[in-house]
Amino acid sequence: MNIALYILPELFLFFSISLLLMIGIFYKGKFKPIKFLTITSLFFTLALVANQPNEVIKIFSENYIIDNLSIVMKILTLLFCILVLFSSNEYIKINNIDKVEYFVITLSSVLGMLIMISSYDLILFYLGLELQSLCLYILASFKRNNERSTEAGLKYFILSALATGLLLYGCSLIYGFTGSTNFEIISNNLNDKNFGAIFGIVFIIIGLAFKISAAPFHMWTPDVYEGSPTSVTSFFAIVPKVAALTVFIRFMYVPFINVVEHWQTIVVFLSIASMILGAVAAIGQNNIKRLMAYSSIGHMGYALAGVATGTIEGIQSSIIYLIIYLVMNLGAFACIFMMRIENNYYENINDLSGLSKNQPLLSVSFLVIFFSLAGIPPLAGFFAKFYIFMSVIKVEMYALAIIGLLTTVISAFYYLRIIKIIYFDKAKKPFDQIYDWGLRASLIISTISILLYFIYPSILIDIIASIQIY
Amino acid sequence: MLAHTFFFYFFSGIAILSSLMVTLSRNTVYSVFFLILVFVSISILFIMIGAEFLGMIMLIVYVGAVAVLFLFVVMMLNVTEIVNKKNLKKKIINYRSVASLVGLIILLEMLIVVSGWKYKETFSVFSSININSEISNTHAIGNVLYTDYILLFQISGMILLVAMIGAITLTFKKKENVKRQKYFEQINREKDSSISLVEVESDKGVKLND
Repeated sequence: MNIALYILPELFLFFSISLLLMIGIFYKGKFKPIKFLTITSLFFTLALVANQPNEVIKIFSENYIIDNLSIVMKILTLLFCILVLFSSNEYIKINNIDKVEYFVITLSSVLGMLIMISSYDLILFYLGLELQSLCLYILASFKRNNERSTEAGLKYFILSALATGLLLYGCSLIYGFTGSTNFEIISNNLNDKNFGAIFGIVFIIIGLAFKISAAPFHMWTPDVYEGSPTSVTSFFAIVPKVAALTVFIRFMYVPFINVVEHWQTIVVFLSIASMILGAVAAIGQNNIKRLMAYSSIGHMGYALAGVATGTIEGIQSSIIYLIIYLVMNLGAFACIFMMRIENNYYENINDLSGLSKNQPLLSVSFLVIFFSLAGIPPLAGFFAKFYIFMSVIKVEMYALAIIGLLTTVISAFYYLRIIKIIYFDKAKKPFDQIYDWGLRASLIISTISILLYFIYPSILIDIIASIQIY
Repeated sequence: MLAHTFFFYFFSGIAILSSLMVTLSRNTVYSVFFLILVFVSISILFIMIGAEFLGMIMLIVYVGAVAVLFLFVVMMLNVTEIVNKKNLKKKIINYRSVASLVGLIILLEMLIVVSGWKYKETFSVFSSININSEISNTHAIGNVLYTDYILLFQISGMILLVAMIGAITLTFKKKENVKRQKYFEQINREKDSSISLVEVESDKGVKLND
């Protein structure tokens, strides 16, 4: 009975998925209240997660953990899923993909993410990952009449299957050389002399790096972000990152904590490679979704820099970075959803030209969000990078900090280029005024929280400071 | 014991030979049949070492489902023998150098790992699983599958459900202009609704609805 109480959020989500599926079967045609039901079920799941006890609990023979980290990350996942659904509400209506299955699959992927976040065991982690990514493949190719969307889905599926294969190979090596799939037992049995298990760690890091789209395993990201419907792209850029980063942190700090010096170099390399690639490759992009893809690769590089420090402050700064990244991306994609003329959505950066003359308010949001993405003080993006560099310098990894600062300067170029196009170029045909309140609300929330973060930063820091890794 | 050894070498020989034939045979359909032979002989090897559950699963899943699926794919692709002979050899030669280099590197890495790691006698002590030799494998798996691993079992079910939903959403097309049988309407048809008597004037004809 106790166990059922502790996994109540997941159980609730599972039953609401089943219920929505039954509605989808018996209700012919479109079912309007489905959006409302989906968001409500996510909201109740959020309430159930927030209500979980503030202590470390391990259930299912110590394979499923509920602690501070998992609760915070689950709340983030659910909250941002709700916000993404709100902001993409009108897009999916206009593009005719607001079917029951879209919402059922979105909810199932969230269920997979919750399982991933709480997993304390290799098999459970793998199953959660599989549930989540299976849903993401389907979502990527959801606009099945569109060639690019199906291409994105297929590309994502094949490359992801390859990465999953490597990950599974790593898992089996670790199981073979440490004798268990449980994280704690692996941690006890892992030491410097266990070469086979260290060999396995490399494969696991490759698989995880693929999932959080860190270079050099990023090649799927731009194509998938560009090809998928924008609602799905915004989901990809925001929601799965939380679960993937959590799993990355948990893997590095629970089972592999005894061999820090072995994985540290790999994570530092991943971080530097992603920062450089995110800064350089985005310069030539004309499609704003593609640009956001490269930007997310770069940002994941900074988040990994925090993980690479091997200290608890590093993790905390990574999590703060992740949260601010999510807020900024929510705003950026809300802006992209605003680029619409008569039911046609535009994706080119040049379409934004002279936006400030037609829509001054939207331009200000663009300005705030892209300045923040570039890391210009006093906006939230600056503080996020500041915490990361502080923790990196504290452990004396100067090379990482210097490269990070340099890439920040390079990447500022392409963010500022968009601002220049909006404010100083000739005005084009104006975009429609969009009155959808969900979209407006998420844009306003993200812009204001980015603008005003510097007034009261301790609200975030206090929450994150309570996080310990078990 | 002698019979056991004999069968072991017999079936492992078949497994090795037929796995070679999978790659060497020119006809892809034959390759799939050799693959089935590999699976069957490996499942027999599993049964011989007492892992009857694994052997049977191997037989059901790999032979019954995967290999048949392969066979379907191969037959649908319609790869003829002639095309194979001409082009396959060229293609293999093109990739041979890169493939052998990568294979060699991985082989060396694996050798370093295996030679660096001493086989420990305490290896089985690590394992938290107690092996009870009195009950059969199937019984033992059943004991843990629905108790300790119930969460994993349920999540696997969820994954299969999602896979099914995904396959249906991505491929299902509602066809327009298809005449379907409507049993109730067809049975409930009355004489009044289906027959109408019309007075036909000469030289005018009748205009029909529909």
